[in-house]
Amino acid sequence: MKSNAMIDRYRWYEVIGIYAGVLLFLTFVLAPFVEGFLVSLKPLTYLFSSPYKFWPQNASFDAYFTMWERVPLLGRYIFNSILISTVGTIIGVILITPAAYAFARFDFRGRGPLLGAFLAVNMFSGAVLLIPLYRLMRSFGLLNTYFAMIVPGVAFVIPTGIWLLRTYMLRIPQELEEAALADGASRFYTFRRVILPLAMPGISVVAIYAFLTIYAQQFIYALTFNSKTEYMPLPVGLYAFFGRQDVIWNELMAASFLGVLPVFVVFIYLQRYLVAGMTAGALKT
Amino acid sequence: MGQLNFSNIHKRFGAAEIIKGIDLEVEEGEFVVFVGPSGCGKSTLLRMLAGLEEVTQGDIVIDGVKVNELPPVKRGIAMVFQSYALYPHMTVFENIAFPLRVERTKEEELRKKVEAAARILQLDQRLEQKPGQLSGGQRQRVAIGRAIVREPKIFLFDEPLSNLDAALRAEMRIELTKLHKRLKATMIYVTHDQVEAMTMADRIVVLNGGEIAQNGAPLELYHKPENLFVAGFIGNPKMNFLPVTCKGAGPDGVKVEYDGRTITVPVAPRQGMEGRRLTLGIRPEDIQIGKGELDIPVAPSVIERLGANTVVYAALPGSDTENYCALIAGSAPVRAEETLETGVFAKDCHLFDEGGVAFERQVEMTEVDPELLVATG
Repeated sequence: MKSNAMIDRYRWYEVIGIYAGVLLFLTFVLAPFVEGFLVSLKPLTYLFSSPYKFWPQNASFDAYFTMWERVPLLGRYIFNSILISTVGTIIGVILITPAAYAFARFDFRGRGPLLGAFLAVNMFSGAVLLIPLYRLMRSFGLLNTYFAMIVPGVAFVIPTGIWLLRTYMLRIPQELEEAALADGASRFYTFRRVILPLAMPGISVVAIYAFLTIYAQQFIYALTFNSKTEYMPLPVGLYAFFGRQDVIWNELMAASFLGVLPVFVVFIYLQRYLVAGMTAGALKT
Repeated sequence: MGQLNFSNIHKRFGAAEIIKGIDLEVEEGEFVVFVGPSGCGKSTLLRMLAGLEEVTQGDIVIDGVKVNELPPVKRGIAMVFQSYALYPHMTVFENIAFPLRVERTKEEELRKKVEAAARILQLDQRLEQKPGQLSGGQRQRVAIGRAIVREPKIFLFDEPLSNLDAALRAEMRIELTKLHKRLKATMIYVTHDQVEAMTMADRIVVLNGGEIAQNGAPLELYHKPENLFVAGFIGNPKMNFLPVTCKGAGPDGVKVEYDGRTITVPVAPRQGMEGRRLTLGIRPEDIQIGKGELDIPVAPSVIERLGANTVVYAALPGSDTENYCALIAGSAPVRAEETLETGVFAKDCHLFDEGGVAFERQVEMTEVDPELLVATG
């Protein structure tokens, strides 16, 4: 859709400036991806040629096939990654949704401090808490299970998830609930029939956020809480490409790209919900 | 069924007292309008009746049962909200059916009831649409439909027309009046719009600052306002208030002086009023051009010609603001800044004491059907 609004009119040098700025930042963000992808296309022997050639010669997708033979469990690693993120997302959404509703609507003692504490939790990365978490996992006997990787991931998405969804739910007019109450509906019935359907875009945002975060964060938990090869998610599994003497860089990069793929697909497919959900209600439509 | 009784109702939010002791009886089948400026407590009173707000003190009794602690649905009320509060993700059918689904009504009976309600409200063709596809008036009707299917004893309306444009509002007023005649249910209606109150109500309750300023039939409020607040609130344009001095009282009424001229207003006299500062109330529509029993010459500053009428605004001597307003014939030969002779007759005047309390008018309102002056069910 081409906009003809006056606010969208720029002079030619303004247009050039805008694109130059976009290009500059995109270069920084995307260069590693480009280089990684090009490396995955190069035969291993050419990687250390001197002088280094940025553009690949004899480019081929061989690495994308040979990697499966060199690391037979690669498929399992990818499956583990997706499994951990998916289960974590489901548990996260199930816990976040009612909690966010409670924080949005119920006036209970300690609501403000708790919300503040949720923000504060975000200041700690999971890494700071690794040792206490390790001890906790050991006492519960969860070490070397899928749960050891899922539970901390879920725990760290809950505070932000509650904030996101609470903000969304605050925008649902209270009169809708009052109308339902006046018509005899219970709190839970109202939640199920009125709030849940209306909060669906917000819940999608939280689910996407949770999936992406858990997917990205599982590395550190997997490294610490799990030593079983068959439970390893992809980021840890990639270490299999680090041989005794040399690193199989091209296959490593190929596997990495395959690992980014699910997140990428999720994001491409759902990013419009993400944008719509995060800005919903900013303007009256 | 649908008799309602408020006794000594109070509502406090922290230290602020919003409702300061309201006593009110509503008969079965009455259309009662709560009207007042924003912040007068009218919506709070309605929400307490609906069971959405707790009652701090006092009793609300519906059909002889004290309902203070009962949830809304047990009170036999249905409420229509200002924003309509329709569920945007449900079709019109499901919106209207919502209360019945809560009650787990059988599918067949539910369908019959929803279709009956839709027919009354002319929504038969819209049942499969979502509220977002409807116009303001249709949304309003869906909200009413959702109230109708419950077959409540009492309907509560919280400023239901204030989101509609002027033309649609006039149309919906007529529809609501017809609906009331048809359902014969008790209706309590909250608005800040005195036109809505005057046109629809069997009885108007004017609220001011959490108290009842006056309670009566629309024309009773118009012709015999009990105090300055009601006199100023009911009627459009607003009643003019002139400062006058009392010159004596007799069987004919109270003699007052304004700007060197005197007039005897036929109101119930009180003793010992001589020399007091009183307020003379004159409705803009009672002012005429030319001589009357009291002449008020003014220089109009703004003239609004509405076609049917002309509204003349002027500043009284000793005032900078336009505090004098006259409603005269549409073709009246008036010009801005040219002195205009206006006159009023004593029988049309209202008189208020220093506390704002009206002297009871003794006018024979022969042209008014006496039944209209008494609130009836």
